[in-house]
Amino acid sequence: MSADVHTLIGPWALDAVDADERLQVERHLAECASCAQEAAELRETVARLADVTVIEPPPRLRDSVLAEVRRTRQEAPVAQPGETPPAEAPVPARRRRHRRRTPRLRLALGAAALAVVAAFAGVFVGWAVDREPAGIDEGTRIAAVLEAPDAEVDLREADGGGRVVVVSSAELDAAVVVVSDLADVGEERSYQVWKVEADGQVSAGVMDPGDSSATMLVEGLGDTEIIGVTNEPAGGSTEPTLPMVADVDLSA
Amino acid sequence: MFEQGAEAHRREDQPRLSVVPGADTATAEALLHRTALGEDEAFAALYDLMSGRVYGLCLRIIRDPAQAEEVAQEVLVEVWRTATRFDEHRGSAAAWVTTIAHRRAVDRVRSAQAAGDRERRAAAESAEPEYDSVAETAAGRLEHRQVRRCLKTLTELQRQAVTLAYYGGHTYRQVATLLETAVPTVKSRIRDGLVKLRDCLEVAR
Repeated sequence: MSADVHTLIGPWALDAVDADERLQVERHLAECASCAQEAAELRETVARLADVTVIEPPPRLRDSVLAEVRRTRQEAPVAQPGETPPAEAPVPARRRRHRRRTPRLRLALGAAALAVVAAFAGVFVGWAVDREPAGIDEGTRIAAVLEAPDAEVDLREADGGGRVVVVSSAELDAAVVVVSDLADVGEERSYQVWKVEADGQVSAGVMDPGDSSATMLVEGLGDTEIIGVTNEPAGGSTEPTLPMVADVDLSA
Repeated sequence: MFEQGAEAHRREDQPRLSVVPGADTATAEALLHRTALGEDEAFAALYDLMSGRVYGLCLRIIRDPAQAEEVAQEVLVEVWRTATRFDEHRGSAAAWVTTIAHRRAVDRVRSAQAAGDRERRAAAESAEPEYDSVAETAAGRLEHRQVRRCLKTLTELQRQAVTLAYYGGHTYRQVATLLETAVPTVKSRIRDGLVKLRDCLEVAR
């Protein structure tokens, strides 16, 4: 069976298979790394066949495509090997706003904050081990925020997958930000966290290039209203690139 | 892991590490990445780079200019919509866009075929690219020559099978019927032909 599927890789690369066969091949490619490599090379080869059919489209197509794009929301990214984008109908665009009115989870907590955060952000439990070199001092301060009597938890699902959880304590003027499972950005980009207040924003830290999960302590909250996360060139930027990937509203 | 805030602040005094806008517009990959971040200008530039490729391929396969234009629009909007899923480790931007275009164009002719209106033309259709078509732009000539030269290295059966499938939008079973050849033979000729093309075009990954 598998051998039979394998002989379909050539026809698959040319879209010369029916829908069932396409599915079979793509399942096979997901399980066979060397086949996936060959398939990718053949796809790359096949795409060159379109070098000889290039024709300028009528100029009206440009306006029409750009107009439709303005009304069309982009899909959330996935990073599944072998997966191809489903052919769905375009979904009307919903302009992103700084503060959306989607339901927000907001809890007032005491010492139980750690458990709650762990439940929302799977990475958190492993944090103490990962961050060993960062020192006990920071760990102690993070624990203090999580256990503060006035600790509040705010959660925001990020665009493109993953979530950002912020545990903040007004009394300690500090917050713990747990970023987990954001969309893969590759080694050329970094997620960056910002403290946003009425006057503007200040960088609160830059994640390592390519990382999509991290935990950080943010001190000096001041009048911070929003903890925002943006996708920036590796190493971070001085100004955030909008739209934000996630904005966690602390002031509501 | 994070750098701590103070360190991030210090960066503000340093030259920006970000890519200067415009400097990375040269490659389709960079444009596609910026498109994935929702940048309209990057998509417009990507359109200018890729629309001829998308429209030309749709026209080759579908043949009716009005329908080709319609499908090209669907393809280009899909590029915008799913740019977030493009992964350059798995292939070039040109191949990614071309794959979407080919699949959509083929889906269109197959549903038309199902309706029966393409049957009579199928066999008569030329599977070969029209070498003297308007596509012959200065920039494209080198690639043209290379693709044509490489197609000529294939055996007659390999070349017919590959071009009937790709430019004709036929399935390998239909190709077998058109060429009056056994289905397993067509499958293996397609694969052999593509491998030979790959080596000739020196597709590197």
